[in-house]
Amino acid sequence: METLIELKDVNVLSGDFPILMNISVKIPAAQSTIIMGPSGCGKSTLLKILAGISIPDSGKVFIEGKDYYSLSEKETLLFKKKNGFVFQDSALWANKNVFENLSLPLRFHYPELSQGQIEQKVKKALKFINLIDSIYLRPAQLSIGERKMVSFVRAIIAEPSIVFMDEPILSIDNEMKGKLLGMVKKLRENNCTIIGVIHDSIITSMIADNLIILKSGIILAQGPFHEILNSKNDEIKNILDEVVKKPSSYDTDILDLMNE
Amino acid sequence: MIARIGRWFNLKVKNATYALGFFNNVIKETVLFVKQKQVGLKVLIMQIYFTGVEALSMISLIALALGVVIIIQGLSLLPSFGQGKLIYDILIIIITRELGPLLTAFIIIARSGTAIATEIGNMVVDHEIEAYTAVGINPISYLVVPRFLGVTISLVLLTFYFNFFGLFTSFLISQLITSVAFTEYFQNLLQALQLSDIISSLLKSFVFGVIISIVSAYNGFKVRFATTEIPQVVIKAVGQSFVLCIIADAIIATIFYILK
Repeated sequence: METLIELKDVNVLSGDFPILMNISVKIPAAQSTIIMGPSGCGKSTLLKILAGISIPDSGKVFIEGKDYYSLSEKETLLFKKKNGFVFQDSALWANKNVFENLSLPLRFHYPELSQGQIEQKVKKALKFINLIDSIYLRPAQLSIGERKMVSFVRAIIAEPSIVFMDEPILSIDNEMKGKLLGMVKKLRENNCTIIGVIHDSIITSMIADNLIILKSGIILAQGPFHEILNSKNDEIKNILDEVVKKPSSYDTDILDLMNE
Repeated sequence: MIARIGRWFNLKVKNATYALGFFNNVIKETVLFVKQKQVGLKVLIMQIYFTGVEALSMISLIALALGVVIIIQGLSLLPSFGQGKLIYDILIIIITRELGPLLTAFIIIARSGTAIATEIGNMVVDHEIEAYTAVGINPISYLVVPRFLGVTISLVLLTFYFNFFGLFTSFLISQLITSVAFTEYFQNLLQALQLSDIISSLLKSFVFGVIISIVSAYNGFKVRFATTEIPQVVIKAVGQSFVLCIIADAIIATIFYILK
């Protein structure tokens, strides 16, 4: 099992308050790793450090064995080109319309694409999520759920091999949820590495290969999904029950659920 | 007490080091921006439009008002001392050498400096900066450099326009009080105008442009979590820009006085 990202003794502080403490994790390539834990335990911060968006106060981050902060600009760009990030609050660029939001990653990483090719790609993606009529609207003119879908599409439009997701299905309706689950499933079929903060039992059972359980900035457990799920540790069991609420649906195949 | 002074001093040194690092980064990315065809080109064009073109009416009005004041005060006072011709030197000193660049800078601080600090501050709060980083787009290169170039280029051009418009409209106003021929008026102005006046005016406007754009962007990036921080950083950006522009003005004026 090849390690894609590794954190060693990572610490993050907010002022004097510790957000993450001595975090050491290994994220395997071409697998799905789900981070779980109660609100405010540092999940999003951990995800952003893994994606190279945030810089820890101390500790090391390795991407494919290389120190992330020693990578050349070209190597960093190559890593960024391979990944997409779905933000919890969408984080769409407010001064750009939907088309510009989706086309910027393509224009930036693939300057060889013509305007026509970019338009075709963006329109195809927007048709799939039923937002083609909103193509020239600004994010403020969309509902929260629509913004979330556009944010998801922005993360995957350049066909990345690593996708980071911070609560991707929060605030979206069931129809959109179905479409999003379909897209996530397709990512997995294409051997995409998924690293996500997800509290939904359906999507977790559908894609999770590994789990990381976080509490108050400390890793309680990390390892294969079923191993953690069957943990006898009461604290872990409590977190899984409290955070996800639906432990019974973990082993249910998503396709069965969607066909019901 | 000593510990508190030490902490205060440490913080000041840390802030100054960070600000210098930020400035260094902007200059480095500006060189790269000019070398490569960047996706930020559109941002640069928009910035020149917002800072330069949209400020034209206000610049015109203030240049006109300044010309009116100098002509009315000068022509009502100087001829009584037999020094009527001094009006041309006064016009050049006040409009071209001193108030032209400074008043233009003040207008740009009020319009574009505040806009830049607010916009970047909002982007930080809404995680839009993180979204650029996630895609691999350097926020300094994409957001700051076009604003830096846009504001600086606009300020130089606007100062040139302010000088020209102020001197030209002062002729029109003078026609209401006295009847000086167009050619005689401008011949006298050109006689009073030295090359050093033009260089000093353009150098000041260039330095002011650098100060305003970098100070505004730097303060915008200092927002951390909440929208309530935005007005605070905008006030800081305006205050620091005013102070630094006036200090720079005094330094450049002194240098030109020594070199004369």
